[in-house]
Amino acid sequence: MAIAEPTIESPAPPLVTRLHGWVTTVDHKRIGLMYLMMSLFFLVLGGLEVIWIRMQLWSANNTLVEADTFNQLFTMHGTTMIFFVVMPMIAGFANYLIPLMIGARDVAFPRLNAFGFWMSLFGGMILYLSYFTGEALYGAGSAPDVGWFAYAPLTSPAYSRGSSVDYWILATLVSGVGTLTFAINLIATIVSMRAPGMAIGKLPLFVWMMLVDAWLIVFAFPPFTAAQVMLLMDRHLGAHFFDTQAGGSAILWQHLFWFFGHPEVYIMALPAFGIISEVVPVFSRKVIFGHTTLAMSTTAIGFISMGVWAHHMFTVGLNDGLDAFFSAASFLIAVPTGIKIFNWTATLYGGRLRLHTPMLFALGFLSMFLIGGLTGVMLAAVPVDWQVSDSYFLVAHFHYVLFGGSLFALMAGLYYWYPKATGRMLDETWGKWHFWLQLIGFNLTFAPMHISGLMGMPRRVYTYQAGQGWEIWNQISTVGGFVMGAGFAVMFVNLLWSLQRGRIAGDDPWDAWTLEWATSSPPASYNFETIPIVRSRRPLWDKKHPEDPDWIHE
Amino acid sequence: MSEVNEESESIGMPAPTAWPMVSAAGVALAAVGIATNPFISVAGVMVLMVAIGGWLRELTPGRGEIEETWVPVDQRAREVVASSRRVAQPRAGLPGNRSHFPERVHTYASGVVGGLLGGGVMAGTAMLYGVVSGRGIWYPINMLAGIVLTRFDDVSKLELERFSVTAFIIASLLHLTASALVGLFFEIVLPTLPKSPVFWGGVVAPLMWTGVVYASIGILNPLMSEHIVWSWFIASQFAYGLTMGIYVVNAKKVPASHIEGASTADGRDHESQS
Repeated sequence: MAIAEPTIESPAPPLVTRLHGWVTTVDHKRIGLMYLMMSLFFLVLGGLEVIWIRMQLWSANNTLVEADTFNQLFTMHGTTMIFFVVMPMIAGFANYLIPLMIGARDVAFPRLNAFGFWMSLFGGMILYLSYFTGEALYGAGSAPDVGWFAYAPLTSPAYSRGSSVDYWILATLVSGVGTLTFAINLIATIVSMRAPGMAIGKLPLFVWMMLVDAWLIVFAFPPFTAAQVMLLMDRHLGAHFFDTQAGGSAILWQHLFWFFGHPEVYIMALPAFGIISEVVPVFSRKVIFGHTTLAMSTTAIGFISMGVWAHHMFTVGLNDGLDAFFSAASFLIAVPTGIKIFNWTATLYGGRLRLHTPMLFALGFLSMFLIGGLTGVMLAAVPVDWQVSDSYFLVAHFHYVLFGGSLFALMAGLYYWYPKATGRMLDETWGKWHFWLQLIGFNLTFAPMHISGLMGMPRRVYTYQAGQGWEIWNQISTVGGFVMGAGFAVMFVNLLWSLQRGRIAGDDPWDAWTLEWATSSPPASYNFETIPIVRSRRPLWDKKHPEDPDWIHE
Repeated sequence: MSEVNEESESIGMPAPTAWPMVSAAGVALAAVGIATNPFISVAGVMVLMVAIGGWLRELTPGRGEIEETWVPVDQRAREVVASSRRVAQPRAGLPGNRSHFPERVHTYASGVVGGLLGGGVMAGTAMLYGVVSGRGIWYPINMLAGIVLTRFDDVSKLELERFSVTAFIIASLLHLTASALVGLFFEIVLPTLPKSPVFWGGVVAPLMWTGVVYASIGILNPLMSEHIVWSWFIASQFAYGLTMGIYVVNAKKVPASHIEGASTADGRDHESQS
């Protein structure tokens, strides 16, 4: 059915008024969009940093940047991508969608939700403020250069003069508080504000996975926050928590950091799983295969992910018993993850596939995440980890998981829900260009790193000697980086162009089944004129197919 | 949140407020002051105090809420109506819209038990090698433990032939876990394979697994790569595959819904393109 272009009845309010509206908003949808805009902004910064990294590694003995600058680049890239790109993007999707998906008018704590967003944004600003500071505490001011994991004792005043490490601590501390408030609000919203009839077992999978995700945040972030406060005390108040010269323990920092850091990997992965669990069935025209096992495996991942942190520390020299335990736990987490892959594949099987851009990204996720998962299983074996830890093999592995996994899925979500948020469709042709450039560029960038890593190239080196066989792989990676950059440029053009000129989407452009598609596009501030009553996991299917509703089967 | 009043022209929603942003700005300023100048921290704390006060006022009765008017009818979501698309009828060999594929499956338990049985036979085969080769039954067990126990990397062959409690526990855990999981995996993928499951479990899988191990053993377990005898290794893989395959294939099948917890399809497929 043709949908008429909306008519403009009154002139738009002045820019200042509109900006004021955004700054003061407590509407979960606007906050979600601000999270997404923040994420895309920092994506550009993180992308520019990595382009510099790749250009520096183009050839042996390159002098494009100095060693110190290179350290800053990879530190800022890692910190930015994890804390200020992927996390805000997840928060953006969750904020925008979850109240809509559970049939709620709002979130449980709208003001706290807004506070969480601003904390995240200011955290990012604090991080990048470090580039503009001059003289500071110890007479030096620059961007952090200690890695996104900031290992002790490198972060102590003795080894990190100036305030660069302080900026890293404060930025992640502030944004971490924001993330925590986001999670608390999310849990309260999902637990207490579901539409009538929506039992926990009837939650859309994205919502269920975000619920587990929020609990992971609640458990993982406070220890990290505590560790950061301890580090600040070391640096400013003369404490010695991590000062090995004065009886402190550098390993304690690693335990505290990775107790947060590994769940963080799953905090970034679970929302991706949720998005895939929404996209794949809609574009296969089938019910998700094994809703229950998907939900249960998510819970299992949540539990197990809290008990694998020391696999990041196999090379520290812990005792064999600990290594064995964490190795076994790391192997074990592959089981629920494998169940998910199987379920998504089974959903695809026999479906009437519609290869629109969201589905392409979902399929890209499935294949790339599978590769990342398999190298993860390899790394769970202690001897393998000993061989390739801190090499480019590891860099390849976690990029296949976090980029090939999380970011591909988030792109699927972006193309899938953009029509709901803006009322307009993203351009399919540009979307496909974006997908293929990103997929090809991604594999060109990161697949060779497996090889250079196995050939012995250490991570974090700012240059290397000629004749080691690493040059060609680095050059392929660099070309891939530029191809990916082109893909993202296409995405930005598409986002902006479609905002004004995209095809009008209508309420339900994908013929989908969850409640967010029962509202207008974009939804009114109160989401629903009438709170829906839910009888099954696919409330819209029930309405579209009264002859064959889900509720008689569940 | 306000109750919905269908009769009214508006609905109560939280009012826009700058205090969350100002509060966050106060916290951020207080933080930045740590790295720059304490006076900035003091200013940040003061901003935060003012913001908390303002925020609290928003929570008092009669404040913090505005009446949002309903959007015009022509801008509201359209009523979801019954689809003109038919739900397609099933076709032979394809799963239905909410059917489980396959309709009847082996239980998870059969996969685990089959895996454990196969693991037992496999362990027996490996230990038989230990006896026949004169190295003793603990030799293969210690080599398996070498995946985890790094101290085994540079011990003598003599030490590898001795009993070690730690190695025995670790090797047992590894072996039992791997056996059970491989059996479970086999049970899950079995229905997706062409006919002759024993062929898949007893011939193809051991050959593939041996190939994978042969290619990666140098990295995975350097100790084992030095001492492994491939003929016996393949024999133990076949012992596992055949035992587990035969057990799983002969185990009783149940409807997939018993595992999934929902009813199987009654033959309806996905929506047809109408």
